[in-house]
Order: sequence, then C-alpha cells, then structure tokens
Amino acid sequence: MVGYQLHSGFNTMQLQAQSLCVARSGKDVLSGVSFSVNAGEVYALLGGNGAGKSTTLLSVLGFLPIASGRIRISNKEVSCDIAAARQAISYLPESASLYEHLNANENLDYFLQLAGNATCQQAMSAALDQVSLAPEVRLKKLRTYSKGMRQKVAIALAILRDTDILLLDEPTSGLDPSAIDEFHHTVRELANKGKAILMVTHDVYGACQVADKIGLLHGGTLVGEFSATDNERINTETVHRAFSATAHTSKTTLATQGP
Amino acid sequence: MSVLNVFTREVKFAAKDRTLWLWLIVVLLLSTLAVGSGFIEVKHQNATIQRLIDADKQDRLTEFETVKSWGSAAYYGFHLTYAAPSNFAYAAMGLRDTQPWKHRVRMLALEGQIYERDVGNPSVALIGRFDFAFLAAFIMPLILILLLHDLKASEKTAGRFYLIEATVGQPLFFWLLRASLRAGALFLSLVAPLVIAGIIARTVPATLALASLLVFAYLIFWTMLCFLTSAWRRSGSVILMSLFALWIGTAVLVPAGAKLAIDRWVPVPAGADILMLQRETVNAAWDLPKDVTMQTFFTGHPEWASYTPLKNSFDWPWYYAFQQVGDEKTGHLTAAYNNGRLLRARLTAWASFLAPPSLLERSLQWLAETDMNASLRYEKKVRAYHSKLREFYYPYLFGNEPFDKAALKNIPDF
Repeated sequence: MVGYQLHSGFNTMQLQAQSLCVARSGKDVLSGVSFSVNAGEVYALLGGNGAGKSTTLLSVLGFLPIASGRIRISNKEVSCDIAAARQAISYLPESASLYEHLNANENLDYFLQLAGNATCQQAMSAALDQVSLAPEVRLKKLRTYSKGMRQKVAIALAILRDTDILLLDEPTSGLDPSAIDEFHHTVRELANKGKAILMVTHDVYGACQVADKIGLLHGGTLVGEFSATDNERINTETVHRAFSATAHTSKTTLATQGP
Repeated sequence: MSVLNVFTREVKFAAKDRTLWLWLIVVLLLSTLAVGSGFIEVKHQNATIQRLIDADKQDRLTEFETVKSWGSAAYYGFHLTYAAPSNFAYAAMGLRDTQPWKHRVRMLALEGQIYERDVGNPSVALIGRFDFAFLAAFIMPLILILLLHDLKASEKTAGRFYLIEATVGQPLFFWLLRASLRAGALFLSLVAPLVIAGIIARTVPATLALASLLVFAYLIFWTMLCFLTSAWRRSGSVILMSLFALWIGTAVLVPAGAKLAIDRWVPVPAGADILMLQRETVNAAWDLPKDVTMQTFFTGHPEWASYTPLKNSFDWPWYYAFQQVGDEKTGHLTAAYNNGRLLRARLTAWASFLAPPSLLERSLQWLAETDMNASLRYEKKVRAYHSKLREFYYPYLFGNEPFDKAALKNIPDF
C-alpha cells in the first residue's frame, strides 16, 4: 500500500459545518454535526449504513433544508447563495453514472459546459491520463465501461472542474483494490494542490490511508474525530475499534470494510 | 455562457439521444400517415364531386329530353348539391365522416331528402378517423408523457440527478430547456408533414400558421404538465401513471361526461320524427280533397291563391303544394333540431375548455370547416337552393304557363 504525504500546509478553512441538524420526513437524521475541512485537507466522514453520511453531503450542496446550524463555504453561508456554493464544489455522487450513450470525452465536454467551464481537449486528455484511463477506450461509449472506468471519468471531471472543494460520496464503492489505490493517490494529489476534500465512506482502511481527519458518524451524530499528525497517519486499529463499538452500541451488524 | 451556447449544447446533447430520435421518427411516420390518409380522402371526395357534377349534368340532359311538362321536369330533374372539402380538410376530417356533404335533391319535400346519406359502416364511424387532428390532440400527449415523465426521475435512477443539479448554474432553466427542446423536436416532426401537405393543397398560409400555433400551444401545455409533474419526488412509474390518469380524465372522461350532460340538458327531436311527420303529411294528402291541401298551401303562399287545381285528374301544382305543406308541417321540429344541434355544439365548445384534447381537435375542425357549424351551413345552402328551385318552377306551375323546354336551361345552379 502506498504511503501518502499528508498535510499540505494550507490552512484556509474552506468548508465548515456547525451544529448541523437535518430532519427528513419528520425524523432527525443529523443532530449537531460539526466539522471543518481546510484547503489541502482530506476529511473522511466514516459511518455505517444510515449514519447520515450522504445526508451531510446533500446538505452541504443545499439539496436538503437545514433545521438548525450552519454550513459555510469559504466563509459564506450556503443558504444565502446556494448557486455560488455549488459553483465552488465538485460533487462526485456514489456510483457516478455519467451518460452511457456518450464517450468519455463527450461526457467531460458536456458536464464541463454544464458547469460553465471552458473545455479544452488537451486538458481533458491530461485529466484522463491522471486517472489512468487508457487512451484507446476514451472514444468508446460509457456503456462499454466497467464501474471502475466510469468512476475514473467522473474523477477526471472533478479534476477538470478545478473547484476549491470536492465532495466524494462513497467514491471507492465497488472498485477493485488497485483502482482504489489509484483513486487514493489521485485524491492526495488533489489535496496537495490545495483542494479541500470531504469524502464519505464506510471503508475504514481506505479512510485511514488517505484522510487527514476522520469523523465517525453514527445515528446522525458525530461520535468521534481522529486527526493525523505531521508524523503519523491515523491509526487504523483505533478507528476500527471505535467504528465497531458504535456498531455494537446500536446492536446492528456493520461489516468491517477493507480494500 | 450565452443562451445561444447553452441552447447549442443541449441541441447537440439531444441529437445523441437515440430514444428521442426513435420517437421523432415514430411521430414523423404517424403524422405522415395521418396527413396522407386525410389528403387521399380529400382527393377522393373532390374527385367524387367532380365526377358527380359531370354525371349530374348528363343525367338531367337525358331526363329533360323526354319530359313534356313543368311538373315532370321538376319531378325527374335531380340536382347535385355538395360541400367541397376545404383545402385544410386533410388535417381534420371531422363531421365529414358522419354528416352528409353531398345530395341529389329534387323539388319534392326537402326534409325527406336532406337527411339522406351514404350507407357507412357504423363500427368504423364509432372508431373515428386517424387524422392529424386526432394524432395531435390525443396521441401526442401520450408520446410527450412517455418522453418527458422521467425527465428527472431517470436521472435520479441513474445517479446523475444531484450531479447535474450541483453542476448547472440554473437548474430550473436547464430542465425547462431540456424538456422544451424535446417537445420542440416532436412539434417539428409532427407539423412538417402538415405543412408540406398544406403547400401541395395550397392551404391559406394563415390557416396553416394558426393550426401550427394551436398545436404548438397545446404541446406547451402538455410539456408544462409533464415538467411540473416530473418535479414531483416520486418514482418514474408513479409520475407516468399520474400523467396517464390526467390524460384519461381530459381526453375521455371530461368530454364523455360533458356530452352526457349536454345531451340531457339540451333535448333535440329525433331526425326520424321529422321524417315520419313529413312523410305522413305527404302521404295523407293523397286521401284529402285537393282544396283542403291547397287552402293550407295558400295560407303560407298567397301569391298563388288564384290557382285552381284540376278536380278529376292528377295535378302537378297540387302535388308540389302538398310536398311543401309536408315540409312546412315539420318546420317547428326542423328548427328545434337545428337549433338544438347548434346549441349542443356551442355548449360542447365551452365544455372543451375543460378538456384540452377536445378543444384542439374542435379548433382544427373549425379551421378545416369540418365541424357542426360547417355542416349546418351546408344544410342551409341546400335549403336555400331548394327554395330557388321552387322559385323557378312555381311561376310556371301555378301560372299555368305552357311548357317550354328551352327555359329549363335557366334552372338555377347550386
């Protein structure tokens, strides 16, 4: 497994959630969740099914109304200008499925135009190189791609959008170990370029490998937070024990995830 | 990014959508079929009219060679009346399938003749014609529903919805543009055969433009319905079922309910009653003393009161007098029948504002002059022509004028 260089030296706070409470269908799904992600930092929200991970991301994007608390993007309230907040964010949904009737280049071109970004063939090729998508498949329709290849195109899109913040929803779900490793490498590269990255995952091992901070989410509450230091990555065992403890607390069985 | 660039982007994107192309081809084929069948029917009707005009003239010439009196000339002389299809009728055949548009009338009682029509298959009449008006009003909403109901739901299923919403600056404009482009493409596929047929048929450009505008407005209505419903946070199948229910309501239930209510509220005498009364009056006249019939006739037509019928032999003026008395006896029923039909048509027109498919179909039939008003206008023309025939023959008949075959050339044309 590749060891990554953590802490890129950026200190600007890009994304901040304070005492976030969200209710869906009259039921509290997030209660007092607070965290922050600085520029150059990878923050992994770790939790089992129904912990509130995806809800957190959708709240940051302004898709879910916040009952109380606040979310700030570059020190601006998301609720004040959702469109501006979204402009600052690249979002990679779980199992991102781009258009199957388009090839990789066409998908990138279309979504970049949607975002109002200028499209450049060279930049697209460079991004696809960066995610290691073989050149010979780039002109094939996405319907012929494996899940990992599709994910690579989606990551290339996030790279090309060149936003300050990246939100990644279960980005390694369904990928094979080597693809996960490549993905983590790309994420670290992006963080090293100053991007603030918030990823939600239930992959304890992967999160410990790539993240500077890990927030352990359980039942809509942030029950623990772990940080890496300049010299030491987050200890997988510690996080795993905490993760398992939350599972036992709720009497539910959470599969321990690993690459 | 300029609006033009955004538009171009979405056009390029839509152009790569095979499902959209499939529907465009289907609509183009259906429209071509509908317009083509209407075009062929109009051509057939025009050819029939032309053939009948020629045959009618020839037939009268043959009959008039042997007639020896004004009475027999009026009796044996048939006259063609017709309502030629308008040059937009190919788009909406309307009541031309069920109401008569051609007659051969003679100077007998008119009411028995005016409701005559060609024998048609009632099952076919019940199904109705697959014309452009039917396609645009009833089929197109279904195609739009199929194409647009999962505008957002399909993206949610594919996991792209939040990605798109988070990426585009103005999601509302984006979805609206995506829906409008698809509806616009369908509109062009639908209207192209109509316009081409219109150019061939030399349809008045304003009529074509108005028809296209009506169809356009109608498709916008359904596009907006689909668009608004697609925003509903439900699965594609729930949205699809809801839109189908809306279609059934507006295309079937409301028109059917309105027809039942209007028919009940506006009673109309049966055509058979008119025919029976007229026939009974005419037949009864044979057994009445001629003076009784003539006095009834002279009450309405005092200008011929000086005429005295032959007492002991058949008398043509008396014969035509009781024919007219038969018509006049049914006058109140005929007026009630026509007024009732007109009132029903007006009320149905108002009710169709609650049923957009019917509203569009009726509007296109109005433009094509194939609606109830056009049918009643034709009947009025036939009545007026029949009156002209009487005005031509009566001075000769009741004035005891000697028969002059050459004067038959002056019989008024329809």
